Amino acid sequence: MTEAEIIDALLAFMAGDDASEDAFDAMALALFAYQFENNAPLRRFARQRAKTPRNVRRWRDIPPVPITAFKELTLSCVAPDSAMRVFMTSGTTGGARGKSYHPTLKVYDASMTANFRHRFMQERETIRMGVLFPDETVLPNSSLAHYLALALRHFGAEGSGYLMGTEGIDVEAVCAALDRATETGEPCALLGASYSFVHLMDALPPDRRFALPAGSRILDTGGFKGQSREMEAAAFYDQLSATFGVPKRLCINMYGMTELSTQFYDDGNEETPPVKSGPHWIRSHVVDPLTGREMPQGAIGVLAHCDLAHFNSACAILTEDAGLDTGDGFLLLGRADGEEARGCSMAIEEFLRAAQGRAG
Amino acid sequence: MTEFAGYLPGLARDAVAWQTLGFGAGNDAVEIAVPALDGAQTAALAARVRDAARANLKPLPVARIAAILDRAVARLLDRSDPYRKRAEALLPRVTGYDAEMVRLGLTEYLKTFRRPELLKFLAEDFANPQMLDDFQPVPKGGFARAFGPELLVQIWAGNVPGLPLWSQVSALLVKAGSVGKLSSGEPVFAGLFAELLAEVEPAIADCLAVVWWKGGDEAQERAWLNEADLVLAYGGTDALDAIRARVPVTTRFLPFGHKLSFGMVAREALDSRKAWAAAHAAAHDVIRYDQQGCYSPHVFFVERGGRVSPREFAGYVANELSVFERKYPRHALSAGEAGGVAAWRSAEEMKALAGDGDGRALLGDAAGAWSVAYAEEAEDLAPGGLNRTVRIVAVDALDDALPRIAPYRAFLQTVGIAAPPETLHRLAALLGGAGVTRISALGHMTAPEAGWHHDGRFNLLDLVAMVEIERSAEAAADGFAPYAD
Repeated sequence: MTEAEIIDALLAFMAGDDASEDAFDAMALALFAYQFENNAPLRRFARQRAKTPRNVRRWRDIPPVPITAFKELTLSCVAPDSAMRVFMTSGTTGGARGKSYHPTLKVYDASMTANFRHRFMQERETIRMGVLFPDETVLPNSSLAHYLALALRHFGAEGSGYLMGTEGIDVEAVCAALDRATETGEPCALLGASYSFVHLMDALPPDRRFALPAGSRILDTGGFKGQSREMEAAAFYDQLSATFGVPKRLCINMYGMTELSTQFYDDGNEETPPVKSGPHWIRSHVVDPLTGREMPQGAIGVLAHCDLAHFNSACAILTEDAGLDTGDGFLLLGRADGEEARGCSMAIEEFLRAAQGRAG
Repeated sequence: MTEFAGYLPGLARDAVAWQTLGFGAGNDAVEIAVPALDGAQTAALAARVRDAARANLKPLPVARIAAILDRAVARLLDRSDPYRKRAEALLPRVTGYDAEMVRLGLTEYLKTFRRPELLKFLAEDFANPQMLDDFQPVPKGGFARAFGPELLVQIWAGNVPGLPLWSQVSALLVKAGSVGKLSSGEPVFAGLFAELLAEVEPAIADCLAVVWWKGGDEAQERAWLNEADLVLAYGGTDALDAIRARVPVTTRFLPFGHKLSFGMVAREALDSRKAWAAAHAAAHDVIRYDQQGCYSPHVFFVERGGRVSPREFAGYVANELSVFERKYPRHALSAGEAGGVAAWRSAEEMKALAGDGDGRALLGDAAGAWSVAYAEEAEDLAPGGLNRTVRIVAVDALDDALPRIAPYRAFLQTVGIAAPPETLHRLAALLGGAGVTRISALGHMTAPEAGWHHDGRFNLLDLVAMVEIERSAEAAADGFAPYAD
């Protein structure tokens, strides 16, 4: 299949409503064959795992590419310099940044908007949005910046905009926007990185509370990543809900990755961790990180995703996120990248942090 | 089954709140109850230990203390002794390490605490160990005596079995009352040793205690740190930072952070016969406690030009690791640990895939029980994924490794070396200058000898204060003597 044919097939698949495993398998196998043919590093990787389009029968058999591969290998079916957009990981530790090449954003955007409308907007057409994240001109390689720009462009009601300047969060502007929403009674939405919400709550006077109009909602994503103080999820949503007057069922967390073109959402955070799930063009399973074998249901492993929208690089990826299969989705249980060493030997994370601390 | 951990002289078991830590699964599951003291109990225990040490430990000659320790250690070396049996039964279940590996390691370790070794230990730090008993004449004139702290608080970390013994023994040798905080990863050994010691010599039963508090319980931690005259702590950078911030400025603080160790193999060790022995020794250092020790190697720099190439040596090490896996299987990994190994393996595999030729390779068994990454080009020292993941880096000359370790001075500890004498001594000078504090033979990296200087420090001398009687005081005293003219 050519790129144009793949894109057409994908857009049709996403627009359709066939959520069966067979339909997904068929599309995934076609995509794997396309990537195997057009991407030499992916081909080498798959061959090393003894997987080729000839012996892969189901999406679960497609060898998931470890996310670290996006740092080391050029995973693209087109020449990388012809990509319209390159999204990069933040690369806070370890130096190299993972790259996802997008020859077009048509599929990414279609995936984002359809899924966002359903899971965050909950079929509402527009809402007034405040974004706690830099815009795309500041962070052109950030998939999250693009995601939030799409949210604003497609779903932002009049008066929506960024509440973040070069100096960080504009706390006065946030307060003014939220007070205005409270006065008018028109629901609004705050969207941003999880750590930005911590910064915002820390920056507000201790007794500052808002009672946002019914239907207001919050979207946070990405965790704290050492950018703010770490908070337990339950405490974070308690405080978020108490500060802004948004019920926890409308405090929605998005789980996305630079290495994917589709996001996962929960249905609010009354209970943590909540079940996360995605649309019918992405499927996930929980595997043993060492053997790659699927874990029995109820056992913790790492999450592997197969995202049909990520058509240009690798549709199947192996994350470093611990997870648990719940049947209707999965629980995201944090990073599984080597906890604090059990002994007195240094672990990679600590080493990198300490080495950076000394260098900085 | 539930085991009670800790050692709390003067506190009845039912007067204390206990918290349970669970370990292992299935038939091997064990619950360890650890004490959670309240403020009044903490203060009472601190006073009791301090008073008992003052009354019963300070007057004991250090030679007597060494003899008492020797009796206790002898019992732990006796496999029929109930304390030893308890240690052998519990430690593998709590830590997950292979039982036979724990047994052998324990014996090898405890041997370094017999009386002759303890005397070495003392002689290492004190030209005249009797300085710990009384004022002794010193070469510059006058007299000096070494006083241990009244209360030494130790905070242990990690799960290498028996690790607390170092600081417990050191505290006793300098006659300090000591309280240790159990590590949640191995909360067994320290209390067991304290109990045994009390049985061996009831007179010093109240001179030490073993407690626990939940990591991050600031109130408990502050209470103990405020009681201490000296604080000795093991742990990662963040944990030590947090403790340091809570230690009163008038209290001395001795931190032992996580470390990074590595090996070096010279071409002379790489003929067809010696190379196997070197690979065996290297693999042994890797499998011992699954690389959790500060002395455990993460990288081996291997010199080109021997009969066996660095790449072939990597294959030898892989082979030895697979043999060890059958004999001493790795502990069952937690999800986080498995993730750490997987992330490291993936990164190595992707680097190998990204390369054009055969400059890199990843050898390992399918289940991920061990992995050897090979790098043809010299590269910087970096930790592996732990739990039997090691990197072999080829170098033209061992000296080429030095710039590769130089940036990490603050983290370096042990280097295991297989090289001829001249190379050993020349490298030792360079390594010492780069921050390395211990050089051992390959195969001995995880078994420091008695009296070693942990992280280059003085185990005993760092704990004491020197009190000097200057010559002027002596001379002046003469003037007030009844026999003065």
